[in-house]
Amino acid sequence: MPIFDQGYQHWNGALTSHARRWWAVTRQGLRAQLRNRRTKYLVISAWVPALLLAAFLALWGLFEQKSSLLQPFFFLFQALPDEIKQGPKAYRTTIWTVAFHWFLWIELGVSMLLVLLVGPDLISQDLRFNAIPLYLSRPMRRFDYFLGKLGVIATFLAAVLIVPAVLAYVIGVGFSMDISVVRDTWRILAGSVAYGLIVAVVCGLVMLALSSLSRNSRLVAMMWAGVWLITWMISGAVGESLEDSKIKTRPWELISFTNNLHRIRQSLLDTGSAARQLEQLVVKAQEAAKTVAGGSLPGMQETRRGPFGIRLPMRRRPNNAAVPPPPPDVFGNREDDSRQIQQLRDLFESPYPWTWSAGVLLGLSVLAVGVLSTRVRSLDRLK
Amino acid sequence: MLFELESITKTYGKVTALRNLSVSMPKGAIGLLGPNGSGKTTMIRTLLGLISIDSGKGRVLGRDILKERLDIRQTVGFVPEDECLFPGLAGVDFVSYAGELCGMGPRDAMQRAHEVLDYVGLSEARYRKAETYSTGMKQRLKLAAAIVHDPQLLILDEPTNGMDPKGRDELLAMSRGLAHEKGMSLLFSSHLLPDVEFVCDHVMVLGAGRLLASGRIDDLKKGAEREFEVRVKHDPQRLAAALRAEGAVAEQDADKITIELPIGTELVQIWQLAQRTGVQVRSLRPKRNTLEQVFLDALAAGGKEKEMPNADF
Repeated sequence: MPIFDQGYQHWNGALTSHARRWWAVTRQGLRAQLRNRRTKYLVISAWVPALLLAAFLALWGLFEQKSSLLQPFFFLFQALPDEIKQGPKAYRTTIWTVAFHWFLWIELGVSMLLVLLVGPDLISQDLRFNAIPLYLSRPMRRFDYFLGKLGVIATFLAAVLIVPAVLAYVIGVGFSMDISVVRDTWRILAGSVAYGLIVAVVCGLVMLALSSLSRNSRLVAMMWAGVWLITWMISGAVGESLEDSKIKTRPWELISFTNNLHRIRQSLLDTGSAARQLEQLVVKAQEAAKTVAGGSLPGMQETRRGPFGIRLPMRRRPNNAAVPPPPPDVFGNREDDSRQIQQLRDLFESPYPWTWSAGVLLGLSVLAVGVLSTRVRSLDRLK
Repeated sequence: MLFELESITKTYGKVTALRNLSVSMPKGAIGLLGPNGSGKTTMIRTLLGLISIDSGKGRVLGRDILKERLDIRQTVGFVPEDECLFPGLAGVDFVSYAGELCGMGPRDAMQRAHEVLDYVGLSEARYRKAETYSTGMKQRLKLAAAIVHDPQLLILDEPTNGMDPKGRDELLAMSRGLAHEKGMSLLFSSHLLPDVEFVCDHVMVLGAGRLLASGRIDDLKKGAEREFEVRVKHDPQRLAAALRAEGAVAEQDADKITIELPIGTELVQIWQLAQRTGVQVRSLRPKRNTLEQVFLDALAAGGKEKEMPNADF
């Protein structure tokens, strides 16, 4: 009868190459974070805006084709200006840009929250449990360790920024049934992916640096909230106090971490072009509204105001209904018109160059790398 | 050769941790001895390729310590002295993760983790969080994590620190078994000389960053060829005096006389002197040193006795 040795057995299996060691760290980090119920719920809820984006792009694709499938949703498009209704393809890039802009704007907030949940423990816990020597005495470098930890944050951010954006894009292209949509919108996809990567790398590096500063994960979470919310509030407060100043570039917006990311998104999606096209629509609508307000043209219908102040046909009013008084001084007020256009510009364009924000984010990233290399030291030192 | 170092010098600012250290050791179980601050940890880190040396060169298992650092760590397992854990993991996940960091696939690593946890005696506690383990269990866990990828060389840095006597004996037995039955080479750093003596065949003694002694423990414990220990029943002074009169060095301690015969003298002359002086010899054998004596002699030769208060035998 054979006797099986229950003592130590040698092992002779296959090993992966050194280049993929970082992935073991990432995989372990993902496993650990997905055990957290709040993280799972947040990732799932982050897909709701993506579903809305995909649904919107699908409807727009059908709208471009004047599909009969759109019949139940036709009311959604009634409020659109005639220019768009008559030639939707001319506004395709603008509409897609605006849709992705809002989607990524919402997802950035979710991303900040997600980083707050998954990031603080990543290095601070290793420092607390003195795990660094265990990592570095294995066949991996400090770079692999950092890359693995960064991979945890990057994977989560990709899951709420890049993956849904790509899927929504594919769905949008699929429903448009027109290959030319790729030609018109590839930049939006590329911009969204690039934006997701930039957010992942910058947020990842900053969070890892913060995580390496303390063994207390709660303190790290508070520091991250400071980077995210306090800088935003300071930027807003400075902006309010300097509202009447002659500084048109609004450099105080650079104080806010998220504002800088928004500025990069505007540049990558080229929201400025979209804003200018929408601006033209608004101007046309304002001019038409002024003409109607003068009431001199025979046969001109009464109008009401739609999105962006665009002229819309009046709803049919019952014969016996009283005619409501016109809104107080909304037509023909030049100050109001220019404010409206300015608000539109502010939504999609910042007055300072994107390179300023890129510089701030690059500086933060370099600082984060410096902090990381100082705080997570190699074992080449006296014990 | 297990490893060979040639003229290694390593400084940290004004502190010289290793001074022109040259040593080569064969495969097997090697004890690394030295008082605190003698350079043991720096030498271990040099072997693991974790530090940049100022000068010198070396090879571990045939791999260059300067150019093939990751390959060295691939074939070496390391049990650090300090308490260090991967946080938040159960024992089996801990060991499995250690395997994955060495390049094992997740499934292989998990299967192997169960095997080595059985081997180190943690099978009952494998699903408990590692943070809840006792000190002895953590040491076993670190050992399991170090051997999960079946290294050719296992480096243990003070592995029995903080362990109870039973756990210590078991860990020593496991270490010895790995070296003597499973063909795994060991570098066993410890202040506890009996532990080193139990586990290892070879020893190297460091002091102030220099190699003070190295070789097979049995050889080092052998005294010089002309040294003997004699135990007598009555009047050892008389025999000692007679030996000194013949030119031998004789040191008496109670009924024991340690003798170093002069050159040209044979062992039989001790018997003849005993007969002549009427002293009854109870035993006569070649002198054997203890490992502690070897260690102290090496330090004394290195002029570093002043560091002894730090050493903990």
